[in-house]
This record gives sequence, structure tokens and C-alpha cells, in this order.
Amino acid sequence: MNNIWGSMEQYDPVVWNWIIAVYLFMAGLSAGSMLVAIGLKWYRQSRGLPTEGLPVIKAAAVIGPVAICLGMALLVLDLTKPFEFYHILLNYNLTSVMAWGVIALLVYIPLVFVFAALVFEKQVLHYAPWLAGVLKVCGLLEGSLNKLIFALALGVGVYTGFLLSAMISYPILNTAVLPALFLASAMSAGSAGNILVATLFFSKKESDCIEQVHRIEYPVAFNEALCLVLLFVGLNFSGPAAQAATAAITTGTWASVFWIGVVGLGLVVPVLASTFAPKAWRHTKGFLITVSCSTILGVLALRHFVVYAGQSYIS
Amino acid sequence: MTKRYVLVHDENKCIGCQACNVACRSENNVPESVTRLQVRIEGPYGNFPHLHFKYNRVSCEQCENAPCVKVCPTGAAYVNDDGIVSVNENKCVGCLYCVAACPYKVRFINPETRVPDKCDFCKDSRLARGEQPACVSVCPTQALTFGDANDMTSEVRRVLDTKPNYQQKVNLGTEPRVYRIPSRRGGIKA
Ligand code: SF4
Ligand code: SF4
Repeated sequence: MNNIWGSMEQYDPVVWNWIIAVYLFMAGLSAGSMLVAIGLKWYRQSRGLPTEGLPVIKAAAVIGPVAICLGMALLVLDLTKPFEFYHILLNYNLTSVMAWGVIALLVYIPLVFVFAALVFEKQVLHYAPWLAGVLKVCGLLEGSLNKLIFALALGVGVYTGFLLSAMISYPILNTAVLPALFLASAMSAGSAGNILVATLFFSKKESDCIEQVHRIEYPVAFNEALCLVLLFVGLNFSGPAAQAATAAITTGTWASVFWIGVVGLGLVVPVLASTFAPKAWRHTKGFLITVSCSTILGVLALRHFVVYAGQSYIS
Repeated sequence: MTKRYVLVHDENKCIGCQACNVACRSENNVPESVTRLQVRIEGPYGNFPHLHFKYNRVSCEQCENAPCVKVCPTGAAYVNDDGIVSVNENKCVGCLYCVAACPYKVRFINPETRVPDKCDFCKDSRLARGEQPACVSVCPTQALTFGDANDMTSEVRRVLDTKPNYQQKVNLGTEPRVYRIPSRRGGIKA
């Protein structure tokens, strides 16, 4: 469109900015780390292996609550009326994905704290002995709590995708693949985050559960790559506006972010590293830290790419 | 029958003078830096000697099936009893979801109230007094027709029934209530 008169300043299609991208990342990271930790717990329980004090589970107990709280703080500060955010807790419009997100998070956040408190029970009781009774009850319910947290974490991961895909005029966002893509990448970020924090703070030598987390990385990376392919192939077949939006991965800054960040750091580096790195390296701290940072940066890049490139193409 | 307020913009009569834009600004006290309504002059279209411009009214389309209302988490973006898509300043938290979701990109944050703002057919002022919206009454070429499309005797009904017209982005299913009478001069992609 060739605009001869009329200021376009107010009409920037990019409404949501990097703060939203970081929030979506944080919510995914928290949900992903919980999914991986609880999944690992179930896997080990089913084989009769001990689950107490595993570094990866401790890591999730840190990442789960911290990431979601940082994300929420960013989100609230980004509102135009941050001091009136309580309206969102009082009024629910159930056709809005955001309202469903609020409901899920209202249950998810406290439960993640309970999860963390149970993992660090000793430390918590040391500082707050009066919590003993509550923690005991929670401990008895742990099995059901974990199932609930798992379900809610799935919900949180998927909702961050639907939040964007509900916006009907942006072809890249308005696709059913997006929630699946966000869930898959939340799992990568979650497992990488767990490995990173476990390696940095909790690991002594037992790298066996890190090994198990590694094992889910391939299928998750595969799913993420598949979703990306489906997204862009789907766009290519969905009419002229959607087809035009495929330019997001061929032209402009966001194309570089996509190929270098999302594909390079997020998928190629971790997969090549785990495939070709010499055996001796694989369990060294440096290697684990480098690879998991690379994955995390890749997912962060993906959220930015989706938020910015997604809003740049409007049908 | 319930009212169905619609607006018709005749792109043949429009001369792009922005009288509507100015009238809206003063009627609704729209701050300097933002606008509820503008007529974009686009083009030129066609080939010499058949060159001409398109006058594109840009304002809230008053979607029957409004994406802004659907996505708003608190119900601050809502459909009023008279069918007019409105904003409840008190319930709004300023999440910008509606601004992002509006396919026509006509919502903006009012720098004074910090909540989304947009055309509401002057519902609280002129419409409440039984007058036409400011843009309609000020238009020097009478390019704008406003009224209740459910009233079979109304002028707006007659215009819609007798002139070719189109709406923007119908493929999205928003059912806009701003109709446009396309230029007779051809060469324009609607
Ligand atoms: S044009 Fe935009 S602001 Fe107006 S009703 Fe439709 S979606 Fe809402
Ligand atoms: S900015 Fe206000 S009106 Fe718009 S979606 Fe958010 S709460 Fe609703």
C-alpha cells in the first residue's frame, strides 16, 4: 500500500514487545522444567530407582518458581496500568485465552512453590519450622500433586502458544502448530535449564539422571524442528497473506535471528554436540554448561522471533 | 428489533479533506498524538491518463464479531447493549491484547487515560442526544451515511440496498459494520 497522506505512526502492527517474548520464555522454562523433573521422577519410580535428592529435580524446584515469578513480574510491569492489575484477577472473560492463562497460573504458581518446598523440605523446616504440619500433609498428597502440576504445566506451556495464535490477523501466529511448537520448545528450555542449574549448583558426580534428561532432548528437538517445518510449509499453502509471511525466514533481521538463534543455537549446536563430541567431554561441566546455554538461548530467540516476526506480517 | 448501527463511506464522494478527522478530534477530545479516525489517501492507482487516488477511512470497524472483545481477559473491551463495541476504562489493565488482536489496527492507547481508545460512533455524546456522529454531520460532500441498518426505512438501509459496497478483511469473519462504496474509477484493489 502506497500511503500518500496519513501518519502511520500509531498503526505499528508490532504491539507486543520483547517483554512479552521474555515472559513467554520464562513461563515455558518454568513449565518445561517441571514437566521434565516430574517425568523423570515417574520414570525412576517405575523402575524402582531412588528419586530423593536428584540434582535435576532440585534444579527444577529452583527454576520452576523463580522463572514463573520473574515472568509474571515482567508481565505486570508491562501493563499500561500496572497498579490496577488486580482487575484481571476479579474479572474473567472466558472467551479470552489470557483469562484461562490467569486461571491456570493461579493454581500452578502456588503448587510449584509446594513442589519446591517438598524438595527442599529440610532447608524449609530449618527456617520455618511452623510449616511442618502443612508440608506433612502436602507430602502425603505428593503423588496427586505431581500429577496436577504436570497437567497444569502442560496447560501453561500450551496456553502461551494459544495466547498468540488467538490473534486472527497475523498469519504466522494464527496457526494451530504454534501451541505445539511452544510446548516442544518449553520442554527443551526446561531440560536444558534443569541440566544447567543441576550442573552448576547441585551435581556432585552422579551424572546418571543428567544422562536420562539428555535422552529426551533428541525427541524434543525433533518435535520442535518438525513444528517449525510444519509452520512454514503450512503458511506456504494458506493463501497469499500467509505466503507473504514466509518472508520472515528469508529477509530482514528476524530471518538472521531465526537461522542463527532458533535453528543454529537452539537445534543444530545441541544435536551436533551430543552426536559428535568425544565421549570424554560429554560429562564435563564445561560441555554441559555450554550446550544447555546454547539450547536456552535458542528458545529465547524463538520466542523473540515469533513475537516480532509474527506481528510484522499482517493479513 | 435490536439496533444495528452501521456507517457507509462513499469513496466516490470523499475528497480526503480530513474534516471528519478534525471534527472527531474536537468532539471526543482526542489527544494530539493519536487519532480515532483518519482518511488515508492512497495511490495513485490506474495508468495515465486514468490516475486516481483511493480514500481509505481508517477507524474502528465496529465488528459484529469483534476480535478485541473476544481476547480481552477482563471484559473491559465489550459490546454495549446498542451493539457498539466499547471500552470500560475501570476494568482495563492495559495488557494491549486487544490492540494487538484488532485486525484493522485501529485501537491505540490514549496517553491521558492509559487505556485503549477508538471510535465508538460518538455514542455517549452525539448519539445519546439523537444526533449523527461528528464525522457524519461535518462531511462537506456527504460521503458518510450512518444509521440503523435494521430499520428498513432508514437512509443507511437504502444506501446499502441500492449501491455496490464492500467491507474490509471479510475473510477474517469479523463482520465489520463499516461499509465502503468503491470508487467507480476502477484500478483499485479493495
Ligand atoms: S475494528 Fe478493531 S477495535 Fe473495532 S471492533 Fe473490530 S476488532 Fe474491535
Ligand atoms: S488492554 Fe484493556 S481492554 Fe484491551 S484486552 Fe487488555 S484489559 Fe482488555
